[in-house]
Amino acid sequence: MTLLNRRKFMVSALATLGVLPATAAAADVAIVVRPDTPVDSLSLGDLRRVFLGDRQFWSSNLRVTLLVRAPGAHERDVVLNTVYQMSEAQYRQYWIAKVFRAEASSAPKVVYSNEMAVELASSMPGALAFVDASMVPKSLKVLKINGVLPGDSKYPLK
Amino acid sequence: MRSILAAVCLLAPAAFAQDSQAELIQKLLSRIDSLEKRVAELEQSKGGAPAVAQVPAATPVPAATPLPAATPLTAQSTPPATLHDHDAVPAPPANEETLPSYPFLKIAGFADVDFAASNLHGPNGGFGAQTMLNQHSGFQEGQFVLHFTSALSSKVTVFSELSLTARSDAGTGSPPATGFNAEVERLIIRYDVNDFFKVSFGRYHTPINYWNTAFHHGAWLQTTISRPEMTQFGGSFLPVHFVGSLVEGAAPAGGLNFNYNVGVGNGRGQVISRDGDFGDINNSRAVLVNLFVKPDFLYGLRIGGSFYHDQLNPLTAPAAEEWIQSGHVVWAKETPEFIAEFANVTHKPNSGGVTSNSQAGYVQTAYRLPIAKKMFKPYFRWEYIHVPQSDVIFRNAVPTFSGSTAGIRYDITNFAAFKAEYRNYQRRALPSVYGVFLQTSFTF
Repeated sequence: MTLLNRRKFMVSALATLGVLPATAAAADVAIVVRPDTPVDSLSLGDLRRVFLGDRQFWSSNLRVTLLVRAPGAHERDVVLNTVYQMSEAQYRQYWIAKVFRAEASSAPKVVYSNEMAVELASSMPGALAFVDASMVPKSLKVLKINGVLPGDSKYPLK
Repeated sequence: MRSILAAVCLLAPAAFAQDSQAELIQKLLSRIDSLEKRVAELEQSKGGAPAVAQVPAATPVPAATPLPAATPLTAQSTPPATLHDHDAVPAPPANEETLPSYPFLKIAGFADVDFAASNLHGPNGGFGAQTMLNQHSGFQEGQFVLHFTSALSSKVTVFSELSLTARSDAGTGSPPATGFNAEVERLIIRYDVNDFFKVSFGRYHTPINYWNTAFHHGAWLQTTISRPEMTQFGGSFLPVHFVGSLVEGAAPAGGLNFNYNVGVGNGRGQVISRDGDFGDINNSRAVLVNLFVKPDFLYGLRIGGSFYHDQLNPLTAPAAEEWIQSGHVVWAKETPEFIAEFANVTHKPNSGGVTSNSQAGYVQTAYRLPIAKKMFKPYFRWEYIHVPQSDVIFRNAVPTFSGSTAGIRYDITNFAAFKAEYRNYQRRALPSVYGVFLQTSFTF
C-alpha cells in the first residue's frame, strides 16, 4: 500500500468513526495548475473546452498541457462523467480522432497517481491536472469551477 | 498534527469505550509516527525541503494536509514514438528532462478489409471506387493509412497522412502497374499563434463540409462502412482535397464556441476529382470560408456552413466558374448520433450558356445500444445527389441517385469494429442497385 493510500485509508477510517468530517473522506476533484498560470476560475463550459482540446493556450506563450489519470481512478471517472460526458471507449476514440484531424498534436498525458499528477503539474508550465481535493499541495493553485471551490455544495466535480 | 488528532479524538462520540478509544488513538499515533519517519527519509533522499501544503483557511477546500512524499516515478528517457499516447507514460518531471524534445514524431495507423456483393452487372455510373459497387462480389483490401504527427516546437506541428490503396489495374500495362497506389492524402505544417489564429500550408481535406474533415481516411472512426457519395474519395461532387493555405481558429463567443477556416489554394485540377498538387491549372485561386459553432448549452451540437469559389478548366468539359454552398447539423454523441449535410454546387460556363445547380445531401442517424456492454450501434443513412442534365461539368462524372443504407456496427474492442450493412441505390435512367457490404476496420 502506498503512502497516499495509507493516508486515505486512515482518513476514511477516522471519518467512519466520526473523528473527522465526512468531507475529508469523500473529497471533491480539484482542478489544479501552477500558481503562475494566468487563470483562477473557469466555467464548466470553459473547463470542458480545455479538456476537449478546443482551448489549447492559456496565453499566446503558454500552451495547456493536460494531465489525465489512468483508467480506474475515481478522479478520471468524475471527469469523464461530468466534463466529457463520455464512456472510456468514447474518450479514447475522441482523442484518436482529434489528433487524426490535426486539431491537436497529442492526446493528454496519463498520470498514474495523485502524487504523480501533482509533481508533474508543479514542474510543467501550463499543466492542468485534476486531483483528490484533500491532496492539493501548497505549490499548486486550485481553480474555481463555476465560481466555487472544492468543498462547496455547488461544486460540480464530485 | 498529533495534538490536533488527540484533541479531536477527545470529542469523539461517547459511545466509544475509553479503553478502545485509547487503544485506537495509540495505534493511529503509532502509524503517523511511522509515516512521518518514512516521509522524512524520502525527503532526505531527495535532498530538498518539503513543500507542506496549507490551503488558506478562507477557501472551502478541505484543510490540506502535508502531501506525502511522491512515489518515486520510474525513470524513463523520452518516450518512444507511440501510438495513441493517451496511454503513454509522460516524461519524468525532473526539471530539464520535463521539457519536451523536438521533433517528436508519433505514428498511428488505420486500415480496413471489406467484402461486397451486389446485383450490379455493368458500370456503376460514376460512383467512387470506395463505394465498393463492383461488378463482382468478393473481398477487398481497403485502405492502409499511416498518420504522422510531429511537433517541431510548442507552436509548430507537422501532420501528414499517407494512404496505400489497392489498384484495379494491378499488373497490367508496361511497365506493369503496381498493386497499390500510394498517395499523400494530407501534408500540413501549422503555426499556432494562439487559439484564435493558426496558419498552415499544405494539402488538406477541404474543410467544406463536416464528414470530409471529421473522419478523413480512418474508416474505423466513421460509423458506417462507406462515406456519403457526395464526399466520397475519388468522387467529383465536392473537391475533397485542397492544396494551399488555411487560417483557422476558435473563440468562446459567449459560449457559442465559434470556429472558422479561411483558405486559398489551387482548387480542382483538370480531372475535377483531383486537386492541383503539381500546380494550379489557371491563374484563379480557389477560396473557401467555413464557419461553425458548438454551443455550450447543447454540448454535442455542431452547426455550420461553408462557401467555396473556384475557376474550373476541366479536360472534358468547358471552362466554368464554380460556387459551392454547404451546411451541416451534427449531434456528436451516440445516444443518438445524428449527422445531416447539404450542398449546392453552381456551375456557370465561361462561354455563356445555362447556369446549373446540382444538389446533394444525406441524413445519418445511429444509436449506441445500452445492451451487451454497449458494443452494438445500428445505423441508417439516406442520401441523394441530383445533377441536372444542363450541368455539363457533372453530367458525366457524378451519379444522380437516391439511396438508403441500414447497418450495424459492433465494436469488438476499443480499437476495432465489425460493420455490416445493406444498401439500395435508385439511379436515374439506370437499374437500381442493392447489395450487402461487410467491413472490419481498426486503428493501430
